[in-house]
Amino acid sequence: MKRIKRYLRLYRVLVSQFIKTIMQSKVDFFIGLLGFFMTQAAGIAFLYLVFEQIPDLHGWSFSQLLFIYGFAQIPRGIDHLFTDNIWLVAWWMVIDGDFDRYLLRPMNLFFQVISEKLQPDALGELLVGTILICVSASNGILTIDAVHILLFLVSVIAGAFIYTSIKLFFSTIAFWVKSSGPFLQVAYNMAEFAKYPTEIYGKAIRFLITWVIPFGFVAYLPAGYFIGQHSALSTIGVECVIAVVFFVIAYRFFIYGSKCYESAGN
Amino acid sequence: MIEVKSISKEFISPKKYPGLKGAVKGLFSTEKVKKLAVDDISFSIADGEIVGYIGSNGAGKSTTIKMMTGILRPTRGECLIDGINPATDRMANAARIGVVFGQRTQLWWDLPLSESYTILKEIYNVSDEDYKKQLAFLNETLGLEEFFDKTVRTLSLGQRMRADLGAALIHNPKVLYLDEPTIGLDLVVKDKIREAIHEINQKYKTTVILTTHDIEDIEKLCSRIIVIDKGRKIYDGTLADLKETYGTTRKISIKTEDFPGIGKVRAALSSSLNNGNKEPVGDNELELNFNPDESRLEISFDKNHVEVSDVISSLIRIITVKDIKIQETELASIVKDIYNHNLGANGPEGGGR
Repeated sequence: MKRIKRYLRLYRVLVSQFIKTIMQSKVDFFIGLLGFFMTQAAGIAFLYLVFEQIPDLHGWSFSQLLFIYGFAQIPRGIDHLFTDNIWLVAWWMVIDGDFDRYLLRPMNLFFQVISEKLQPDALGELLVGTILICVSASNGILTIDAVHILLFLVSVIAGAFIYTSIKLFFSTIAFWVKSSGPFLQVAYNMAEFAKYPTEIYGKAIRFLITWVIPFGFVAYLPAGYFIGQHSALSTIGVECVIAVVFFVIAYRFFIYGSKCYESAGN
Repeated sequence: MIEVKSISKEFISPKKYPGLKGAVKGLFSTEKVKKLAVDDISFSIADGEIVGYIGSNGAGKSTTIKMMTGILRPTRGECLIDGINPATDRMANAARIGVVFGQRTQLWWDLPLSESYTILKEIYNVSDEDYKKQLAFLNETLGLEEFFDKTVRTLSLGQRMRADLGAALIHNPKVLYLDEPTIGLDLVVKDKIREAIHEINQKYKTTVILTTHDIEDIEKLCSRIIVIDKGRKIYDGTLADLKETYGTTRKISIKTEDFPGIGKVRAALSSSLNNGNKEPVGDNELELNFNPDESRLEISFDKNHVEVSDVISSLIRIITVKDIKIQETELASIVKDIYNHNLGANGPEGGGR
């Protein structure tokens, strides 16, 4: 308990230093945010055009598809907001020997990686996701009650953990290959598949995003519960189990990898 | 108490082949190259010692320090820092040590220095009272006030180094590791850093381990030095002993008039020195040089074979001496010789190989 309190306090200190840092370059901050809204706006426009052409897909209505699309954005946004620094481990930190400084401080390594940065760009994803879910709700395709709202929050958090686990796992490869950015990029791009129902893909991709890189669990599966097709246990329950299993695997792998870290010569 | 028990570190990397063809070949090859960066090194360091850890580039200095600080795990052997093994108990070790890597900063680049210190205070869980006391001490020894509110990015290298040293000391560590703490600094700042290290060591009995290429760092700070080369320890002892063992060359420099020529001086000197001497002095044991512009004669020899006083008394009889200067070997050239492997094989540690 004391330890958790200490880490929460440290998190506050470290994150506020980060915020102070980005506030020192306000221009960068706003340009970044603006750029991200533009990207998101383009994404929605694209979505609109696609669904103009294809009013329904494998028995999924347009509003249901919109919901899955929006629902996929929220865990992605949460993960993006809080753990974006993992990308730097994959691309630079191991090869530059920058990871040294984490090893020199008396704090948990994973905690140090994620507490160093917040990614304000993620606010765009969260906003778009929220808007699309509100639109879906007003279309009347969702069941809205206390249990559903609670499970929605659980599902979103579990989904974020799945995103984080995948990022962490593929970054960890850097401890052996020095820079695992390209691997992570490929794995992370699979998340694009999460925005649509898994049924529309071929067998191979379906297998891949279900059992290897489990993006199928972050939106499509739990969405089945909220639109009243499946039970909570078979959707949110499974999602939570997958999130825990993958996170434990990724975290252990990361800690193991950090022990194989070779630093960089001077 | 630091105990390093026969640690080795092996780096394994894929084999590289030359040229473009080689690059393609390397892509499909599974051959590995093993590099032994640190090879079976042991030593122990008592509390409060200042030890200079020296060696040429790539000798394995940084790799050893990285194993001691918990960044790298030894392939074989272990280190115990006050009984804590950094490889298995990284956090406990990290809380008790301070580290400065001269080429890198641990400060927050975009924040004022004061903010970095506040963050470190939280990270190391320093109480308000201890923090205040330590900061006052650091201010006094490192003169942090003059740039305490400046953004780290805008600090000069000298200021940044002082700031980094202070940052490594906020939690009053038991052991301080300094990797080239004076690299690139001007003489005034170097002195200031050295004084600060000395003062900290005196006040808190902090153990200091420093790597450096700057001989003055060693002369001014270290009571003991460890020399490593190609991953192996080749010398471990006091600075005085090192000088006694290796620094036995003496150079006598004489300003003279009416110089009769090297050949004549050499002949006269040899016969004078060998007069009644049981072990004759060979010609190659005396190195003579004459600089006609300054009309200065320089004679180098090993003081264990030839007595300095004999040489001088002989010379006075041979030539007119207007001025005389006796130089002992500088540490810099001893270290240079060790690096160049001229001495390593005969050293007290190397002899046992």
